[in-house]
Amino acid sequence: MAYSASTYQAALEKLHQYLHGYAPLTRNEFRQMERFLEIREFDKKVKVIHEGEVERYLNVVAWGLARKYLPVRNKEITIQLASEGHMIHSELSFHYRVPSRAVVETIEPTVFFSISYDSLEQLYEQIPGMERLGRLMITDLFIKSDNRYFNQLRKSTRERFLEYVRNHPDMVQRVPQKYLASFLNIKPETFSRLKHLTRGKAVKG
Amino acid sequence: MLEMLRQYISGYVALTEEEFAVLGKRLVVREFDRRQLLVRVGEVEEYLNFVVKGLIRMYFLKGKTEMITNIAREGELISSSSSFLSGKPSYYNVETLEPCTVLSISRTQLERAYQESPKIEKLGRLMTTYFVLQKEEWELECIRLDTRERFLRFIGNNPELLTRVPQKYLASYLNMKPETFSRLKNHIKKRPVTGRP
Repeated sequence: MAYSASTYQAALEKLHQYLHGYAPLTRNEFRQMERFLEIREFDKKVKVIHEGEVERYLNVVAWGLARKYLPVRNKEITIQLASEGHMIHSELSFHYRVPSRAVVETIEPTVFFSISYDSLEQLYEQIPGMERLGRLMITDLFIKSDNRYFNQLRKSTRERFLEYVRNHPDMVQRVPQKYLASFLNIKPETFSRLKHLTRGKAVKG
Repeated sequence: MLEMLRQYISGYVALTEEEFAVLGKRLVVREFDRRQLLVRVGEVEEYLNFVVKGLIRMYFLKGKTEMITNIAREGELISSSSSFLSGKPSYYNVETLEPCTVLSISRTQLERAYQESPKIEKLGRLMTTYFVLQKEEWELECIRLDTRERFLRFIGNNPELLTRVPQKYLASYLNMKPETFSRLKNHIKKRPVTGRP
């Protein structure tokens, strides 16, 4: 896989914008940060981290699509889907430095901006604005994960399906149906049926 | 009271007296009877609370069923966290199960503390990270372990909750039927739990 330098520049520019959305980050601070980033490229259907390995990186998707799943009793339970601009890594393994139970695997050819555990620690030491940025990004992650947890417990299968389709029409196109069904905790048959149902009439807001 | 909080915080970051004071001067002590709501569904959670004494649960209603998502005891934090962090209405009720004393900080005061001290900001980052990880761990356990394994693990880690919390609440927290909970409990009475399953 070879991408042009301008493609990387554009993706970095987007990353800067994205981070800036959380907390002001000057061009200089971003430059400093850039030095700690690694660019990692993967083909589709490649395991970025295997079960049992210790997660070395926190990844942000520059472009492409990846999922995180938990291998349980011969099944793969998809617990996260990440497209451009989203963070994906085996969090528990990364933070506690223990073997990962989860697997991160690409769905499409994917490029990550990755930062290692040690680099991240250094970054927090060296750039004063990083603490705020880190705190706000993690806060956002918490709110999203709580939202998802609440929806799983509270909402019906149909509601979960409709809400997801409405909010993520692009993902419905890109992600194989079996992964989406697993992510939404809906049986594949039910997922198909719901999809056919909504095809005829547009989903109302 | 403050000593308990200092202990808790030292698990995340080492604060000097001055840094701790930045936080200390912004705290309020709040006392509640049993069965009082700290926040109800639809209200915005204004406080992050540290439990000094008592027991507090967080739940929502699914139809007529109460679904408990958190139980906090002495030395733990509780708040309708998403609402506290986002400033949006709470999905959950937060209610005391016993008479409680909590040390609370409001969202505005916490923001000020962050601005005043980078170390407090770091504390905020580390605590929030821990919340995310705790949530992730709970979710993974729900997927990975079966009902019996989850029961044994929970009882192994929190033996005293078994005597303090009504059984139906614990069952709800573990997302299992009360009958299942009671059956599993009777099971371990005959054979004591030895370590992890």
